[in-house]
Amino acid sequence: MTSRNKRNLTLAAKWACYFLLLLVAATLQTTPGFLTIGQVRPIFILPLCLAVAMVEGEYPGAFFGAVGGLLWDFTAGRPGGLLALELLFICFGAAILVELYLRLNAMNFVLVSGLCALVVTGVDFLFFYAMPGYEGAAARYFELVLPMVVFTAALSPASLWAAGRVYRRFPPAE
Amino acid sequence: MNDFFYSKKFKILLAVAVLLAGMMAWAGANDRLTNAPQELLGAALAPFQKAAQLLGGGLDGLVDKYVRIDQIIAENERLRQENQELRDQLVDYDQLAAENQAFRDLLNIEANDPRYQYASAFVISRDPLDQFGGFTIDQGTLQGVEKGDVVVSDKGYLVGRVLEADVTSSKVMTILQPGSYVACLVSRTRDSGNLNGNAAWAVQGNCALENLPRDTLALVGDEIVTSGLGGEFPANIRVGAILELVPEESGTSTIAVIEPGADINKLTHVFVITGEEEEQG
Repeated sequence: MTSRNKRNLTLAAKWACYFLLLLVAATLQTTPGFLTIGQVRPIFILPLCLAVAMVEGEYPGAFFGAVGGLLWDFTAGRPGGLLALELLFICFGAAILVELYLRLNAMNFVLVSGLCALVVTGVDFLFFYAMPGYEGAAARYFELVLPMVVFTAALSPASLWAAGRVYRRFPPAE
Repeated sequence: MNDFFYSKKFKILLAVAVLLAGMMAWAGANDRLTNAPQELLGAALAPFQKAAQLLGGGLDGLVDKYVRIDQIIAENERLRQENQELRDQLVDYDQLAAENQAFRDLLNIEANDPRYQYASAFVISRDPLDQFGGFTIDQGTLQGVEKGDVVVSDKGYLVGRVLEADVTSSKVMTILQPGSYVACLVSRTRDSGNLNGNAAWAVQGNCALENLPRDTLALVGDEIVTSGLGGEFPANIRVGAILELVPEESGTSTIAVIEPGADINKLTHVFVITGEEEEQG
């Protein structure tokens, strides 16, 4: 096998692993009753997309974020493309942040994940809860959305660990 | 910096962003939530979700069984007694049903007793972003499920309707979702109203029956059924019971807080009414 073929095969295997991780994350996120505290449940798709973006760089990460966002749109019943667009830009920004300013470690990842989860859930809450004018929006935000953000951030190192494992298993060719 | 914005990769990124915005616009314009790439992703996800649902259900059941063993024994005893009472009532019911049938024949009223076709479906997905109990089931257009089909619980209580049917799965909008209007009746008094989700009560898994007459004679505990008005929901599907009656703000009507008969946030299995056929013979 030529080195080019080998490199392509390695690349395909790596992204297949990331995609498999994405399916597992989506499954865990949507499994009824899994890791539910009260009515609060964590998000897994967003931290995984962020982790892949941070280890792979801004462009591959942004595209992976778009695919993850499309899947999330599907599971959450949101108009196709909304979360995909958000994740595309968020993953792009997070990857650049790590490239230029932050060291990639668990603590920084928790902070970035929390911040991004706050943005994504905040936008979703704004569009699908606050803007339609439902009653008790503020209470709902503090009781459900913020705890969801904290829960998501707390479990996010698992996504970084999984993405890091795949990245180290298939290192880029020199 | 200019190189960055003029680079080929950045242009591709922008093209993808425009494509996603286009997909969103297309979905909105066609009154759909999903589009082809998502349905592919959904089809890839479905086997994982089914496996997780089976695994989760099995584990939950096992743990639950041993944690609540005393409670289950007591409940078993109570259900035995209740069963005996129900058997007694059934004898009375049979007599009433026979009388009823005789009156129908006598008055030559054609019994309107449509038999519905049901599709059995498991709840395979609930996303944390959905705050009104919406879920995905493992039955889609391949199994005859269509947008707008009515979804009921194992015990026949109204749960909601199919919001979107994909090939192998469907999304269900529950009666807890604000804007999910269902024409209903208070079974005892025949007062009619609109069942609607209410954000304030959805947290407890309850919804509201709006526009009841101000002087309604409905009481706490009265059963609510669908009226069939509008044709979207068949008549006489049980919904739940009145938990509380509160005057509407303007004072022109009464709102009944309804406790659905189905625990919508914890359902694991439902039936979809996929069609109806007239009684044969």
